[in-house]
Amino acid sequence: MARRSRTLIEDEDAELNMTPMLDVVFILLIFFIVTSVFVKTPGIDPVKPDAVTAKDWDPGILIAVNAQNEVWIDKRPYEIDEIRPLITAMRDENPKAQAILIGDKEADVGTVMAVQELMQDLNIATRVSTQ
Amino acid sequence: MRRRRNKTADEAEVDMTPMLDIVFIMLIFFIVTATFLDERGVDLTQPPPPPDDDTPQNPKPAITVYVDNQSICSVDSNQTECDRVSLAVERLLADKPGANIILRVNESARHGMLVTLKDEFDQKGLGSKIEIVKNNT
Repeated sequence: MARRSRTLIEDEDAELNMTPMLDVVFILLIFFIVTSVFVKTPGIDPVKPDAVTAKDWDPGILIAVNAQNEVWIDKRPYEIDEIRPLITAMRDENPKAQAILIGDKEADVGTVMAVQELMQDLNIATRVSTQ
Repeated sequence: MRRRRNKTADEAEVDMTPMLDIVFIMLIFFIVTATFLDERGVDLTQPPPPPDDDTPQNPKPAITVYVDNQSICSVDSNQTECDRVSLAVERLLADKPGANIILRVNESARHGMLVTLKDEFDQKGLGSKIEIVKNNT
């Protein structure tokens, strides 16, 4: 008797219906594949200025300027005159990419606008990030 | 007859486990690497500078807002509190209708100040031109 019930339980285990779970897992997988964006994040999070007229922007290139006027790209700090070849390379990888410039509130206008001018020079549509 | 039944029994027993393992590993990879960007931005793009020999026939009056290296604002050379700049500009605009607004900012001023001023002008529908003043000139 005891032996028979054990075999019954084993049978149920073997026949567990995985199909609905598989469906859900596949849907999740496809969702994450589709929404994943492989962007190089700057690696810092500056305090952004507030603005009312800001519009949503979908960037492929992210550049941050912190309060010490260091320009951060892909988790490394650079000087303002070092970034031109980097940005050119990023643009060539993804020619349609738009860029966002994340400037700290306390950063110098000169540094942020120098990057902005550089982006314009390279024909990359750029917005300055706000909260 | 018997053969067909055998075949269906085979199909029902396809082992899904290795595929499931791979699918789970992919799922976890994409969850971990997913970055959800939610960026908002203002447009500080500058129009290209006009060629030097191009002088407009009828120069429009201009209102100059200057922000110095201490982030102190002045409108047409009168020192103004920075959150009152747009009011002062509107008052001057009543006297000089259609005037251009020139936002001259010292390169050592705070970035937040420029964005705030530009945002205030944009909110009121006033176009403005940004000029960066270098310290050594």
